[in-house]
Amino acid sequence: MPINAGYFLKEAGTSFKRNWVMSIGGIVTIFLSLLLIGVSLLIGTAANSLITGTENKVTIDIFIKDDANQADVEGLQRNLETNSMVKRVDYISKSQALETFKQQMQKSPDVINNLEGNPLPASLKIELNNTHDVDKVVATIKASPEFKKICDRPDNPESSLRYGQDIVQRLFNFTRVIRVVGIVFIVMLAVVSLIFINNTIRMAIYARRNELSIMRLVGASNWFIRMPFIFEGMIQAIIGALLAIGIIMAIQFLALPRIQSTLRFMSFGISNSFIWLISLILIAGGVIIGGLGSWLAMRRYLKI
Amino acid sequence: MPDLQATLDNIVPDGSMPATRRPSGPPMIVMQNVTKRYVPERAALEAVSIEIDAGEFVFIVGHSGSGKSTFIRSLLHEVIPTSGRIIVAGHDLSKIRVAKIPYLRRNIGCVFQDFKLLPNKTAFENVAFALQVIGKSKHVIDTQVPEVLRLVGLEGKINNYPHQLSGGEQQRVSVARAFVNRPPLLLCDEPTGNLDPQTSFGIMKLLERINHTGTTVLIATHDQEMVNRMRRRVIALDEGHIVRDQNRGVYGHAN
Repeated sequence: MPINAGYFLKEAGTSFKRNWVMSIGGIVTIFLSLLLIGVSLLIGTAANSLITGTENKVTIDIFIKDDANQADVEGLQRNLETNSMVKRVDYISKSQALETFKQQMQKSPDVINNLEGNPLPASLKIELNNTHDVDKVVATIKASPEFKKICDRPDNPESSLRYGQDIVQRLFNFTRVIRVVGIVFIVMLAVVSLIFINNTIRMAIYARRNELSIMRLVGASNWFIRMPFIFEGMIQAIIGALLAIGIIMAIQFLALPRIQSTLRFMSFGISNSFIWLISLILIAGGVIIGGLGSWLAMRRYLKI
Repeated sequence: MPDLQATLDNIVPDGSMPATRRPSGPPMIVMQNVTKRYVPERAALEAVSIEIDAGEFVFIVGHSGSGKSTFIRSLLHEVIPTSGRIIVAGHDLSKIRVAKIPYLRRNIGCVFQDFKLLPNKTAFENVAFALQVIGKSKHVIDTQVPEVLRLVGLEGKINNYPHQLSGGEQQRVSVARAFVNRPPLLLCDEPTGNLDPQTSFGIMKLLERINHTGTTVLIATHDQEMVNRMRRRVIALDEGHIVRDQNRGVYGHAN
């Protein structure tokens, strides 16, 4: 049998015109589902970039006693720099530390004026490639002999290290929960929209069951019967996806810049390329959901 | 398509042409020991064996629940027998692959009591639909559809919608749709069940004309008067058994 794409498209178009209420229903369903998924992806990414920003602020500070041997300090710094988990190590001298402190305390000049000399220690500031490695790096530092020699308080080395000991773990627990919740939410939405779409297509097929039974009786092949429905489902899905993408683009290019300008302290950081990726996901997802949904919904009407 | 109308016009529809039991080639339908049980306790068909030759005109009679519909539907492979073997138009249904079933059905025209016409299509479109969905070209459709509608006597109403046609006319459209592809076998399930006697007789005459072109016609019915009037082969079913198989038979009392 010649596969006649023109016929399938024409049939899909005719049925679209004839059952336009049903078709609009399908489009709206797909549109809303995909919009929800897209917006969740958007929010999820924004939240993720906020979380990552916060996590990246986790650093390890090693406070160094004033009379430490400079060679030991440099030795420790070199050792840490060769560690694969460490991104960079900066040496902050006593005067740099004081400068930073003065800047932070600008608003309370009393504190600065009452300083006698420079009570602040020098330090090594360690940034990590992956902040989740913080415990391992801390353990390495504690084990190194140089650390014991140079640390600010040799009697209690622990207090010469600052890495937000308790906060780090709680922060990581919190961000993990947020990520898991986000993923579960998106998966649930995807499942719900698949069910919605499947039902909508089912109804469209039910409305045409007489046509289908006649097609079967006169010997139309199963693919011939299926194709117009699958085309129709995919066309609806594409229209729905385009609408959803339109809204998401509007959010990215119109709404987000305004929100960002009022909330300067937070960085949402959603790149345009990510928006294009979401668009691609929605179109592809829509086509797959539409086609697959039609195919699944067709099955029970094609039992022979 | 050879000039069908001319062939038909040369046939005198009074039975002068021997239409029953013309052994020409292999039989159209063979059933060997066919049993169908929807529930284990009760058989809808039990150990039915029968042969129907190409070109025969056969009535299947029996009251509701006697197995007529199961008989017809098993020939279409809509019902799959519990045991036994069915061969239709050269297809062995016990071995047929799912993908081949549509091709089996292209060899079988179907007419039903409720016509099964699409309400939003005209007579022409309803008949054309049967050709479209098996991939026939527009040229074939534009020549064959008007011809078959003329054959069933609806040449003036090809653009009417089903609701603009009488019951008899709707059944003629449905016969035209079943026959437009020139299948070698025509199955009719209570074709006159919804029609008055006069109209029924017209439909029967039409089926007879179609039979005269060489098409095997199988009619399940409980229209006693019609069966008695036509004097054709009668197969009587009762509780899934064949209780009578008679040439030039009558409805009788199948109990």
